Amino acid sequence: MTEIAAARRNYREFIIPALIVLAFAYLLLLAKGAVFPFILSAALAYILNPIVKHFEVRGIKRIYAVIGLYLTFGALLFTVLYLLFHFLSFELESLQQSWPVYAGRIQDVVLNLNSRLVRNYPFLAGLKLTEKLGHILELMPQLLLALIPALTLSFVVPFITFFILLGGSSLIDYLLDHVPSKHAEIILHIASRIDASLGNYLRGILTEALIIFLIAFTGLVIMDLNYSAFIAILIGISSLVPYAGAFLGAVISSIVAWFQFGAMLPIIKILVFFTGIRFLDDWFLQPYIMKRAVKLNPAIVLFALLAGWELGGIWGVIFAIPVTCIIKEIIQIAVELQETEFRWKPKAEPTRISIPYT
Amino acid sequence: MFKTLNLFNVIYDEETLKKIDFLKSIRLFEGIKKRDLIHILENLQERTYLKGETVFTQGDIGRALFIVFSGKIALSRQDQETEKSGVIAEVQPGEFFGEMALLEEMPRTATASALEETRVFMLFKIKLESLLFARPRIGVVISTQLAKIMSARLRTYIEK
Repeated sequence: MTEIAAARRNYREFIIPALIVLAFAYLLLLAKGAVFPFILSAALAYILNPIVKHFEVRGIKRIYAVIGLYLTFGALLFTVLYLLFHFLSFELESLQQSWPVYAGRIQDVVLNLNSRLVRNYPFLAGLKLTEKLGHILELMPQLLLALIPALTLSFVVPFITFFILLGGSSLIDYLLDHVPSKHAEIILHIASRIDASLGNYLRGILTEALIIFLIAFTGLVIMDLNYSAFIAILIGISSLVPYAGAFLGAVISSIVAWFQFGAMLPIIKILVFFTGIRFLDDWFLQPYIMKRAVKLNPAIVLFALLAGWELGGIWGVIFAIPVTCIIKEIIQIAVELQETEFRWKPKAEPTRISIPYT
Repeated sequence: MFKTLNLFNVIYDEETLKKIDFLKSIRLFEGIKKRDLIHILENLQERTYLKGETVFTQGDIGRALFIVFSGKIALSRQDQETEKSGVIAEVQPGEFFGEMALLEEMPRTATASALEETRVFMLFKIKLESLLFARPRIGVVISTQLAKIMSARLRTYIEK
């Protein structure tokens, strides 16, 4: 009887926290449109926090560390954006002017190919490939324009991030100070493990993307390829998705090189260049930068990306890998806990040495 | 001159500097340079336990070492045969306990509870491992100190 009463008491102590969590979740559901910038800001703050902490443990007050970080990043970003716009504005202008010509040439190639295919395989006419391609090509500039609302996020997110960084881990510390003391050690153990693998993965992959962007940009400028800044940015961003960066870079650069030079040699050079980037990534960047990050099987990465796309579109793809890291770590910890706390495995025997202490 | 000092006070957080000085006094970190103690502080987790709260229970799997920053912790052990529990030690500020968790994930051999409001620093095994690999210079000192402390405790136990 006393055991049942104790169990009831145990359940009762969780009622109020559970109600608070449910009410908070309902509130988030009602205001889901407003939540998204906060999730992005929290992610950004998580990535930037180690830099702030680096100065904080050296005795500098958090507020000055955050202000210093913003000023430095601001100056860096301004310089990079200035340089990029210098290249990009010119490139986008020329892309706008030459797009109809390029679109026409792509359409001609596809029309030729399609007419030949339809002649040999008449059933392909039903697919109406040319009409679909024409539609996509017409939509292309609109698709690019559709990205502009995302720019408003680039103003809102740093603003929110600033205040999250200022607050630091105070909210998490408050929560940890108020979890039942007997569970604090295990909760902090789980939190540090997730933090270690996720943090290493995120910081690693961002560093990798930046290095690949810089190499691609330098290489493409040296090769005198049009739109090199634009392509390098695409490569940098797509490098966040494992294996995508070099592949996308090779394909886009080859197409641009074909239209620009109309010869095979520059395309071969580009393919060699991107194969080099791929090997550099595999042999030097990954082993060095990602050595302490969680290891994910490429098949799982692909599954996570597809599931992310299905659940949340482009943002789902961006968050797919970090969320997969968390899930993998949680599964690993759960299995370990089952083995140690719930005794799935026989209890580990302490090491015993027969020779006494001398 | 005074202005410079004032600026120093404004920018620098005394609390953090105090924590680094505190770490310098811990036996486990003896011989580690002040600038290296920063990396240890980076890997520590702080938590306050209220009077009477249990830090861990005998038989729990240990995952962290605890350093008492302020307050007092009682370590008690229950006898397996008589099932009687008794305090075996009181841990004061500057002392630490639970170091076995850094070596192997085995059940705790005692129960720790706060005798008064106590602030502790926790060093988790996983954090220590990453520190050992990332900064071997610190790792060597901690490992040596840990071995010395274990040896001293064993000697005390035998000589009892």
